Amino acid sequence: MKTRAKKATAQVALGALAFNAAFPALAFASEEESGGISAILPDMAEFIPMLIAFIILWVILAKFGWPMFAGMLEKRESTIREALKKSEEAQIESERVLAEYQKQLADAKAQSAQIVADARAVGEAVKADITAQAQSEAADMIAKAKAAIEAEKKQAVADLQATVADTSVDVAARLIGEDLTEGEHRAIIERYVKEAGSFNGN
Amino acid sequence: MATNRLVVKEEVAVYASVLFDSANGAGGQEAVLDVREQMGEIIRLMRADLQLTMSLSNPDFTPEQRKALVEGTFGACHLALREVLAVMAERGQADLLPRVYDAYRELLGEKLGICVVDVTTAVPLDDELRQLITKKAEADLGKRAVLRERIDKGILGGIIMDVDGNYIDASMISQLNRARNVLKDTTDGGEC
Repeated sequence: MKTRAKKATAQVALGALAFNAAFPALAFASEEESGGISAILPDMAEFIPMLIAFIILWVILAKFGWPMFAGMLEKRESTIREALKKSEEAQIESERVLAEYQKQLADAKAQSAQIVADARAVGEAVKADITAQAQSEAADMIAKAKAAIEAEKKQAVADLQATVADTSVDVAARLIGEDLTEGEHRAIIERYVKEAGSFNGN
Repeated sequence: MATNRLVVKEEVAVYASVLFDSANGAGGQEAVLDVREQMGEIIRLMRADLQLTMSLSNPDFTPEQRKALVEGTFGACHLALREVLAVMAERGQADLLPRVYDAYRELLGEKLGICVVDVTTAVPLDDELRQLITKKAEADLGKRAVLRERIDKGILGGIIMDVDGNYIDASMISQLNRARNVLKDTTDGGEC
């Protein structure tokens, strides 16, 4: 950059000098033709010092200004380049982070979906277990109730049967005790003795 | 222990023998049978009254107190039985009475050649029935049979014959009880 600025400055200076050297007649002609072209031609007495001053100024600027200016531009360019580079890096980083976030978000979504699915499956299993257990308990209760009813029914029938048997036997005993005469008793004894087994158990 | 059992067995035999000889000497066969019958009643009483049984063998009482208890409780029994039971009570051996009873019954067969048939009926036996039962017992057992009759209206009818623990129960109450059990155990018709 610095080199290029120096070259440009030199070319402008050379151009100005060449223009003055090529057209000196025009400058002096103006002096000759006062009131014509001389009105727009510079006065050499002013032009030369101005030229010298311009050259000096140009040299000073070329020597001190342009390098400073070029340095500022270069620094500015460097800063912008760094900023652009950082910006690109930041963009890349942000894209990477974004991709990572998106990936994490997708993973989280998948995980949450999996958790929901697992929870639903567990819930279904628990529901099925509870239902099965409730059905089993209900079946057991029904079976026990049936068994209890059956047992109570059998007990009631047995009690009734026992009552009927006791009553029947008591009635029979009373009839026997009241109705049989001694002769009938003896006849029964005789029959029983004849029909009885042996004392030896034979 | 074996020695103790032998000693006790010997003591039981001595008690039975003394009792038998005393009763036989005092009143012959009839007294022997009375003693046997009274001894059976006492055993039944002792089985029914646990306090009496424990008191007769209770070591907390003095021998004299146990003897006095026998004299007071069984004063109406035969003298021979009362005296032997008093001795047993004095020695704390009243609980041996059932074994003495068994030994006494064996002596009946050995020394008198008889078997005692305890007959329980609801009405008194007549001679014809006595003869019938005696003949049956003698035919079955091969010994002279002596009947000991007892009237018990509770059996309703029929007869119970017992020879030394061998029962022939042909009483109506037993038959009715069997019928009662059959009726109770029958499950046919129980399903409604």
